[in-house]
Amino acid sequence: MEIISLIKQVPDSTRVKVDPVTGTLIRAGVPSILNPYDHFALEQAIKLKKEHNAKLTVLSMGPPQAEEVVRLALSLGADRGILLSDRAFAGSDTWATSYTLAQAIRKIGKFDLILAGMMAIDGDTAQTGPGVAQQLRLPQITFCNELKVEGKKLIAKKLIEGGHEIVECIMPVLCTMIMPHEYHPSYPSFMSIYKAQVEKPAELWSLKNIDAEIKLLGLEGSPTRVDKIYPPVSKEKGTMYNGSPSEMVEILIQILKEEEVI
Amino acid sequence: MLTISDECIGCTKCVKVCPFGALFMEGKVAKVNESCTLCGACLQSCSVNAIDIPRTIGTVDISAYKGVWVFIELLDAKDGKKQIRPIGHELLSAGKGLAAELKEELCAVLIGHHVSGMIDKLASYGADKVYLVENEMLQDYNTDSFSAVMCALVSQYKPSMVLYPSTYVGRDLAPRVATELFTGLTADCTGLSIKNGHLLQTRPAFGGNIMANILCPEKRPQMATIRPNVMKKNPPVAGAKAVIVTVNIPIDKSIIRVKTVKKLIDESHGIEKIDEAKVIVSGGRGMKDRNGFKLLEELADELNGAVGASRAAIDMGLKPKPHQVGQSGTTVSPTLYIACGISGAIQHLVGMESSDIVIAINKNPDASIFNVAKYGIIGDAHAIVPRLTEALKNRKKA
Amino acid sequence: MSSVDLISLRLMLNSLKQYWKKNLSLDFLQELDKKNEYPKKVIDDFYDPNILGVNYLLIPSEFGGIGGNNVAVYQLCEMLGRIDLGIATTAFATFLGCDPIRVGGTPEQNAKWMGRIAAEQMIVAYGATEADAGSDLLNLKTRAKRVEENGKITGYRITGNKQWISNGGVSDLYTILALAPGGASWFIVEKGTEGFSADKHEDKHGIRLSNTTGLALDDVYVPVDHLVGLVEGQGFVQAQAVFGYTRLMVAAMALGVGSEANETAIRYAQQRILAKGPLSEKMGYMHKLIVPHAVNLEAARCFIDRNSKRLDEINEGLQTEGAIAKYFTTEVADNCADDSIQALGGYGYTKDFSPEKLKRDIKIAKIYEGTSEILQMTIQRDRWQEHLKTKGGFYINMAREMDAVHAKNPDVGADSASLCLKGLSAILEVCRTERLTRHQHVTFKIGDLIAKAEVSHSFVIAASQDKLFEGVRFDKETYQAMARVNARETAFNVILDGIKLVTGAGNVDAHALAAQTNLIQIIQKQQQITADMDLLSVKLCEIFNAR
Repeated sequence: MEIISLIKQVPDSTRVKVDPVTGTLIRAGVPSILNPYDHFALEQAIKLKKEHNAKLTVLSMGPPQAEEVVRLALSLGADRGILLSDRAFAGSDTWATSYTLAQAIRKIGKFDLILAGMMAIDGDTAQTGPGVAQQLRLPQITFCNELKVEGKKLIAKKLIEGGHEIVECIMPVLCTMIMPHEYHPSYPSFMSIYKAQVEKPAELWSLKNIDAEIKLLGLEGSPTRVDKIYPPVSKEKGTMYNGSPSEMVEILIQILKEEEVI
Repeated sequence: MLTISDECIGCTKCVKVCPFGALFMEGKVAKVNESCTLCGACLQSCSVNAIDIPRTIGTVDISAYKGVWVFIELLDAKDGKKQIRPIGHELLSAGKGLAAELKEELCAVLIGHHVSGMIDKLASYGADKVYLVENEMLQDYNTDSFSAVMCALVSQYKPSMVLYPSTYVGRDLAPRVATELFTGLTADCTGLSIKNGHLLQTRPAFGGNIMANILCPEKRPQMATIRPNVMKKNPPVAGAKAVIVTVNIPIDKSIIRVKTVKKLIDESHGIEKIDEAKVIVSGGRGMKDRNGFKLLEELADELNGAVGASRAAIDMGLKPKPHQVGQSGTTVSPTLYIACGISGAIQHLVGMESSDIVIAINKNPDASIFNVAKYGIIGDAHAIVPRLTEALKNRKKA
Repeated sequence: MSSVDLISLRLMLNSLKQYWKKNLSLDFLQELDKKNEYPKKVIDDFYDPNILGVNYLLIPSEFGGIGGNNVAVYQLCEMLGRIDLGIATTAFATFLGCDPIRVGGTPEQNAKWMGRIAAEQMIVAYGATEADAGSDLLNLKTRAKRVEENGKITGYRITGNKQWISNGGVSDLYTILALAPGGASWFIVEKGTEGFSADKHEDKHGIRLSNTTGLALDDVYVPVDHLVGLVEGQGFVQAQAVFGYTRLMVAAMALGVGSEANETAIRYAQQRILAKGPLSEKMGYMHKLIVPHAVNLEAARCFIDRNSKRLDEINEGLQTEGAIAKYFTTEVADNCADDSIQALGGYGYTKDFSPEKLKRDIKIAKIYEGTSEILQMTIQRDRWQEHLKTKGGFYINMAREMDAVHAKNPDVGADSASLCLKGLSAILEVCRTERLTRHQHVTFKIGDLIAKAEVSHSFVIAASQDKLFEGVRFDKETYQAMARVNARETAFNVILDGIKLVTGAGNVDAHALAAQTNLIQIIQKQQQITADMDLLSVKLCEIFNAR
């Protein structure tokens, strides 16, 4: 069995702010991490690899420094790691990203299962996984939290409105993973990191390594444009009250009456 | 135009799956006729990748695209029948304004089996036209069948925009359609407006720490997914009627690749569904323990409301995950939102700030929650909430 | 030489950081601290190659380790220091315990023992210190008697007591310094050897998670191949050879402690509202308790980084630089931890916040691996030789280097650093002509001035580079402002202290001295320092924001 795991390097999102004057992202001091959803999906891929003696390839797209997440994946147990990095890919929206990843996957060739996080925490779109599946005409199962492989068949437990659904599909298939609420990602030991560095160097692929229509890449291949980014507007502060609990209760009753709640 | 290369081995699979009878055999190879809608259903059936739909590179003729479309998601009702998910009404309400500004029609896309009874309801929320696709293969949502239908409809009728709910179904479907049709899709929008004739889509990113305005200036249709409870629902207009366009799209079962084995509906869900509650009493880290939350439950009971929780409280195990309000939980917009002991991290605020009235109770006068509250009470919720519940009870008796 | 590249190093440090954040909360560490308990499970995880395997970075790759270079090792030490100086000391003590073998062992001894240390995840202790032999190892009392058969030495019997031995009670292997007939020598002693025992765990002021005991050796027999290097009398040479890098390691650990204290205070300052605004907006608070320490720690970081890189190139030596790094960093970190308690006010004085523990822990860093005072003496002794050898040219040359930097980049404080080094040279010259080094007080103080001046020199060079080195978390503008502040302050303090020193000890003409040291110019260079510190206040809060 051949598995491909799609991963992305993201800034630790909760700490990104917009400079209110220039409207640009303040990224100083914000560390980069492996997108946690991808991290969870990668761990599932590693589990399946062990159970089924599969070969696991990780694929990422990003700037050269994203090599770090590919190396992290290799340290955690992936067999092969590829970083797609080229100035031609810069400015890609989810369409162009899906296309680029799909072209790279075509180049990788054989696969039975593609796993990805449900979304990346910097964009929160959840579009790239299904986008890749459609580019490759693959069936997809989104928002999975459990996977099982039986012969040629993949069985998944996925989220639906109000509950779960068990679905199955003959591979190849692409699955996007949600992650458990209390998820503590695993990290490699010093030795695994060192061995990965020595034994499994990351492959750096540029535009030259894939067959792609240049007009479908990067900014040019992206149907959407960012018009502007800005900090969320905070509402005007309301009326503040301070006093003893019973005074506060009186005021609350008054408010509820005025607002016609009671 | 769809092309079939000489790789074709004459297996006839594609002819069978085409919903429009656009593919036929000529000698030992498949050919395409003018009924092709470029829906793409045949592409996956070809085992030798002989079929291709070349993408239109560059600007499309955007003036050829008219109409604001809303994809209507259906839910399983308790009686086993289907019903319109309320977000559909919200999207029609939002689409109504956009359509009026563009002087275009507002259209609902209704896909299912025996669903025509819902058309008047869609009309009452403003749909001028309903595209109806009925077929027993479309009883339940499936990625393969629904995306084939959507691609076919869009290719044929060319709307200027399509709005989808940002739900498990909407987020599964929309990216496949947008990818196939080589057009833009913006996820999780919280605001929609028109800028120079284009759809201006506003969405949070980086966990709500920034907002972005997105345009799709050169491709059509413009597509967006929108979270439930973000758009305000218009009051329904009784007796409104919509033009019905019935489209026959037969679905060959071989195109359905992912099959549902079993559905497991969580029992607890729905008892206190926070996304539909009119009143939510919500607690954060400041409620300290389960007893603190008990106080909130009593108040919620008194106000016929549900109990919500911040991520911090969920992490502390004070409430199960379905109660989480915020970016990584549920977005809510009740009539009344009472935040108790919640400091107001940005990820919480983006999930509740569109509530009509926000009352915040917090000991710390500098808590960010006060920035979004219409009424701010500086004090200890542990002391105030039980007294308030008591006072409400007494009022009822009186 | 090192096989660990930058990405691997980052990943390793991240794995360690994630383990820390997940498993080692302040509450957990304070509890162990209170109970004076060695964290066995944590240390097992640290040594387990499948969990963390931190120690493998310190073992050469030919023996089954990773063989991290000095840059990798110092960054590891900094992170360990941030986590807990006791845990850091445990890891460091294993490294130190291996050192006599690595430096003085034969290839066969290295293969055998380093191989076992790697394969068996051994904890190792370094047994040198005794009751009457600390900084003065020459007073060594532990004796190793030869055991001979047929006129051939077959082994040794060791008798004596060791004191303050880190990992003393928990090690699998010990390297013991003892006086053999041929002179001081290192011996390898395995846990459980007959006659060998550890005393009780000490009740210490800080680093209470680090196991510290005495060792008792009562006629302990070791075979002859346990004599490190197989030649007697090499013990002191072997012990001295490693001070360059071991002291850089302790410096890096102290840097971790200081940085943790400083960043805790910066975050606190943004949350604590006083008179309608956060403390972080109060200039008096920030300029006293926060900014100077942030600048000093950054200066220490660049000095450690620079000399780790040099050491990676030249492979040995840099004893003086090691002494400067350790002296400067541990003093700076101690002061910073102290002021971080102050910065947190009443909270800082409780065990609910980290500065209280950091302050107790950091103290040891000024004591072990050479006390601050021994280091001051060492620094002065070494550089005094240079000063005499070059006829005062040593610091004049460094000053010229600064002039060249200033010509290219006027924003990094190189002009101030140049004045400082020239002035330092003048002060040393006065000491020579007035024979002031006969006062021990003068020699110690000179060690201090030299350390500050040389660190400032490194900071200026680092800030003038096109690309800041890995590990700096500031943008260039901020970093250069830090270098400027440091260069100006250092020039002012070194020269004024120097003037005071030589005036106090000798008979000098104040006017002449002021002229020789360019005192007026140095005072003039202090302009704009307040504006720079204001900028740093803002930037520090941006980088170490409260959320």
